[in-house]
Amino acid sequence: MDAIETVGLTKYYGRKPPPIHPPFLHPAGIVRALEDLTISVREGEIFGFLGPNGAGKSTMIRLLLGFIHPTGGKGRVLGLDIVRDSVAIRSRIGYLPGGIALYDSMTGVSLLDYLAELTGHAPVRRAELCDRLELSTRTLRRPVRDYSRGMRQKIGIVQALQHDPPLAILDEPTEGLDPLMQRAFYSMLDDLKAAGRTIFFSSHVLSEVERVCDRVAIIRRGWLVALEEVAKLLDRRKRNVEMRLSGPPPRLEGVPGVSGLAVADGRVTLHLEGDMGPFLRAIQGAPITDLTIEPAHLEEAFLEYYADADPGATEDGESSRPVVPSPPPAAAAR
Amino acid sequence: MNGPLLKRTWRSYAFRLAIVCLALAGWGSVLPIVYSQFGAAFRDMIESGILPEAMTNFGGGDVFSLSGSIALGFIHPIAIILLSVFAVGFTTGAFAGERQRGTLEILLARPISRRRSYLTILVSVFGFLGLALAAYLVGSVVSASLFDVVGEIDTTRLPLVWANGLLMFGSIATIALAASVSFDRLGPALGITLAILLVAYFFEILGTLWPDAAFLQPYSLFHYLQTRDILNGQADPFAFALLGTIIVVTIVYALIVFPRRDLAAPS
Repeated sequence: MDAIETVGLTKYYGRKPPPIHPPFLHPAGIVRALEDLTISVREGEIFGFLGPNGAGKSTMIRLLLGFIHPTGGKGRVLGLDIVRDSVAIRSRIGYLPGGIALYDSMTGVSLLDYLAELTGHAPVRRAELCDRLELSTRTLRRPVRDYSRGMRQKIGIVQALQHDPPLAILDEPTEGLDPLMQRAFYSMLDDLKAAGRTIFFSSHVLSEVERVCDRVAIIRRGWLVALEEVAKLLDRRKRNVEMRLSGPPPRLEGVPGVSGLAVADGRVTLHLEGDMGPFLRAIQGAPITDLTIEPAHLEEAFLEYYADADPGATEDGESSRPVVPSPPPAAAAR
Repeated sequence: MNGPLLKRTWRSYAFRLAIVCLALAGWGSVLPIVYSQFGAAFRDMIESGILPEAMTNFGGGDVFSLSGSIALGFIHPIAIILLSVFAVGFTTGAFAGERQRGTLEILLARPISRRRSYLTILVSVFGFLGLALAAYLVGSVVSASLFDVVGEIDTTRLPLVWANGLLMFGSIATIALAASVSFDRLGPALGITLAILLVAYFFEILGTLWPDAAFLQPYSLFHYLQTRDILNGQADPFAFALLGTIIVVTIVYALIVFPRRDLAAPS
């Protein structure tokens, strides 16, 4: 069984504007937040959900949690229907909202107790999580209003995971965490994965998605444009190669995977894609004094999917995206 | 209903509840004292014709009888402001306020349905109002006993006065809750509720002070707060039925609308 499965999930906000309206009224019309999204998140994987602000990430999460109702399509979380069984779904998951807001008048520990009580499960992992995120007992006894942004985020992470849910849905989980805490968080994710838990991870920090996720989905303006394993996505990316030579350059024209070849002043630069074997054989015996092969990064893949996007679409919020002739999902989506 | 939410709601409002109850008990004790000490003098003043007769009745209350003074205390702005802490402030903040602050997100991410959370808040507000109204009546009765005038009213009718007050302020609370579940921001929910409250109050007071505006009174919720009539043995079942109907309609509205609303990400 998949932890999350959606088929043609679609969400529009608003209504069709009336054909005649006073000039001072500017009806927003229908806003397409998510269009025909079909994905499946396997049990036990860390799944990254990527997209810039306003792409539809939060809409997807809110559909899964039953905060908003789909315009079309279906979805299941842990085998339960997202429309009919939303309360049952929420009893079995952990959720960290993006930009979490907490009850300021409560202390950290009373807030965690209260949220655990509402969830109906014992906070079996709280001590371990607090320890790893360096939330001391003394800190937890202070009112939440005194907490810094990072400490609030740590409380958010603990409340989402303290009852050891089989599925955690985390929206921008490392927002506000310092690099040391980010590292501690990644290590916690690794442990959760090893324990068979599923993590659905929304982010626009590409380096962390690359670091922790098994598979990623990339959405653009509500459309799914890619769904692939991170390793495969990176394999297909072009690596930048730079060589310094003390003699004549090797013949690289026509070598499979090599493109963008440039030779100047004993320096060769090129792009390398796919299997490195033919390239390594071609440079064997060449008078190389220095060789740099930059690893491919998710950022390049991500930017490629967004290269032809409307610039406004990457910056604006959902409300600024009225229905326009829809861009078809990229051929890469599968 | 949800136990942890109910417990937390009562715990976080316990201090405010205690303050409001004490203030209402204190306020409830003032007007019977005024009546016992100065009631006869006021009556003489009115009978002498110095004050216009319209001034003898303010929102269904007066200071010429114990029942009238208890009724006057109920409809006085001090009592209304104190009861509005729960009937308006708590209710509008419960959903629209939490939506605006972003904390509703973390509550509704738990296995608690929107209907259940609404009913929990509804039970809480009726509990708060019930205690606050009881504090007012207890203050009035204790004060009237101390000044030896309690025999002028039939105390067995006090539960009916309490029920009538609960229905009146409960109807304001359910209107406020209906507004609260309908908006993502506190401003509109609070604005609509206060507008209804102020217009209703204006209609009732204007109608009691100016006979030509008396036709406005039936359109005011406060017109159905019948403290003096109940204490005088003239309770009107229609007032109870109407307030009960308003409560039922607004509850049904909220129970239908709230679960169907899209709760988009807080901005």
